[in-house]
Amino acid sequence: MPVEVILPKVDMDMTHGTLATWHVKPGDMVQKGAALFDIETDKAAMEVEAPATGRLQHVLAEPGTKVPVGSVIAWLYAEGETVDTLPPVPAPGDVPAEAAVPDAPALGGTEQAPYAVPPQGMAGHASPMPGGSLLRATPAARHAARTAGLDLSDVAGSGPRGRIQKQDVDDLLARERDVAPPRPVSGWVADSGPLAVTRRPGRDAPLVLIHGFAADSTGWLPLEKALLPGRALIRIDLPGHGRSPKRKIRDFAHLARMVLEAFDEATRGLDGVHLLGHSLGGAVAAAIADIRSSRVLSLTAMAPAGLGPDINGEMLAGIARATRVESLSPWLRQLAGNAELIGDDYAKAAMRGRADPGLRSCQMEMAEVLFPDGVQAFDLRPAFARLSMPASIVWGRRDQVTPFRHALSIEADFALHFLHGIGHIPHFECPERVARIVERQFAAVEAPG
Amino acid sequence: MDVTAQETSTRTLSYSEAIREAMALAMEADPTVILMGEDIGVYGGAFQVTLDLVDRFGPDRVMDTPISELGGAGVAVGAALTGLKPIFEFQFSDFATLAMEQIVNQAAKLRYMLGGEASVPVVFRMPAGSGTGAAAQHSQSLEAWFGHVPGLKVIQPSTPEDAKGMLLAALADPDPVLVFEHKLLYKMKGEVPAGYYTTPIGKAAVRRAGSDLTIVAASIMVHRALEAAEQLAGEGVSAEVIDLRSIRPIDHETIVASVRKTGRLLIVYEGVKSYGIGAEISAMVAESDAFDFLDAPILRLGGAEAPIPYNPDLERAAVPQVDTILAAARRLARREV
Repeated sequence: MPVEVILPKVDMDMTHGTLATWHVKPGDMVQKGAALFDIETDKAAMEVEAPATGRLQHVLAEPGTKVPVGSVIAWLYAEGETVDTLPPVPAPGDVPAEAAVPDAPALGGTEQAPYAVPPQGMAGHASPMPGGSLLRATPAARHAARTAGLDLSDVAGSGPRGRIQKQDVDDLLARERDVAPPRPVSGWVADSGPLAVTRRPGRDAPLVLIHGFAADSTGWLPLEKALLPGRALIRIDLPGHGRSPKRKIRDFAHLARMVLEAFDEATRGLDGVHLLGHSLGGAVAAAIADIRSSRVLSLTAMAPAGLGPDINGEMLAGIARATRVESLSPWLRQLAGNAELIGDDYAKAAMRGRADPGLRSCQMEMAEVLFPDGVQAFDLRPAFARLSMPASIVWGRRDQVTPFRHALSIEADFALHFLHGIGHIPHFECPERVARIVERQFAAVEAPG
Repeated sequence: MDVTAQETSTRTLSYSEAIREAMALAMEADPTVILMGEDIGVYGGAFQVTLDLVDRFGPDRVMDTPISELGGAGVAVGAALTGLKPIFEFQFSDFATLAMEQIVNQAAKLRYMLGGEASVPVVFRMPAGSGTGAAAQHSQSLEAWFGHVPGLKVIQPSTPEDAKGMLLAALADPDPVLVFEHKLLYKMKGEVPAGYYTTPIGKAAVRRAGSDLTIVAASIMVHRALEAAEQLAGEGVSAEVIDLRSIRPIDHETIVASVRKTGRLLIVYEGVKSYGIGAEISAMVAESDAFDFLDAPILRLGGAEAPIPYNPDLERAAVPQVDTILAAARRLARREV
């Protein structure tokens, strides 16, 4: 008999878990005790070990699927065992003890409906359960959520038995829109390059914006509004961020080359551009300015990475792995010098941009590569020192991610702007002050004669 | 309004006067139009709809038939096959059960079975519905039975204007048409255009525009739904009321467009709720592209799963009334279902 793979109950009041990733492909062998899949619950993400040695078959839950505790989500077949039709699924209460994960407490109660299983004869075909399909939601609510790219599990239902109505989706979208329009489409055009690049046409030398770790291009909105109107803007999403493809990176240089490729593509035919990068994007911007010094008119690096070993690794990891607003919000509040600036709506909007588990796992891997053991594994000081164009560093003195004193280590004639009372995200905390600094730099570079 | 001919003026007529006017107009214009039925001559019809037409057109064209619905319907179908355009009146639509063979097996099938060589341009007038204290065998709403039969057209005009225009459209139609007339509507008055016009079969009418929910109603239920919608408006709920008018063919487009707009659907009809026109409409919506726009379960209000009682209070309780429509619409609008 094949052994059932069960979604275990790993925490007291857990009723459902979301399958995050399979570590084993269908048809592959796995040893008992080896990592089989990751689950995310309301509170945590964790790895689940294979309950037996065998070949993984009949995978019923795709990554992203929310599954009731105790459900059978796949089977393990012993070597040589015939794999034909789907075995019968026991009700969650009937699961034999040895099939459960050894460390897991008793499985969920019997009142839970058995997890949906494809009919007999569909053996071998995975049954993709779209995320949230076990939630109560009206067709209109589902349609609205689908259209807005919203995960229904983020929506609180106001209908009978918690059913999500269209109004609930609309309300959530309206609340998020009040804070930060997630996709300010108007005026922005998407390029078709190696990374997601959006551009807003305008006059003068364009300003190229590179966001930081675990952010995306939508975070530039407050600054876009604060800048003098009319300048052409080009925004690049880092790989594994925003709308860019999810790519594994080997090291910082690899990441910088990917972004450089997108930068070259996006700025082809242009005489020169200004560069503004934040945090990890600041380091990437400096690397690009170093390599393409003839095409970069000025560089502004906000709280750039790469100027010293210290970095708040716990915070980066916490943000990268957070699966819910509740776990994301406490970390986000540390981003700003004044935690009150980061309200629930900011956290909700941020979580919405991070709803894709694939994106989160990509970023967790990236954090591991760039900041192993909470240390910045790359040093941009030589690159900064070589820069020949006008350059400034902008840093909040209350930055809790990377200390502003890193700026003092640069051996070059840089303009250093230390902002009082500001944390790690000056472009969100005080976009007008940041705008004034970059505008002054533009003026200095572009002044006639 | 769907008026295809120019009319000069309107007058206030009752529903039965409008039907009588349509029949008289058709008989004046076309000598092949004849009336048949039990007691439609000197007696003037069970509900006095034909009234004095026998005096105007004579007993050769306004023919009393024996008390045999099967025989009378058979003669009407046969007459239609020979080229006449008979309007056959059942005293009560319940008695059409006696004539099922002629309606379902003959009238509905002959054009098809004769390869289009012949058609059956007969009109059956069907006084229907409860509310008159006529009890179980004289109060049914059997329109859905006939809606199930390809080859028949089934209409339920709800206003005097439509009663005239749709009866004239039925007469102009080459195939058998069943007109279900709610007995409580006969005395209802309304503006009716003078002269000849037809109201198309198969086209519903939006009687009241709204945005929060759609009420699809048929026959007398249209008026109850409109009354409920008026009260709902006072409560801030905007209900759209669609008068079905025709159940075969049914106006898929108007209903689906409305549900796409409102996301909520309540279907109100007097026939027994199960296996009725509500089932057809809700399934039709669930199968349509309006599905994605449904924001609540579809609700049906239909007749009780029981014969219509004689007791007046029970009779009233057996079919949807303004208060039951109101209650259901409120539950839908307030997300209680």
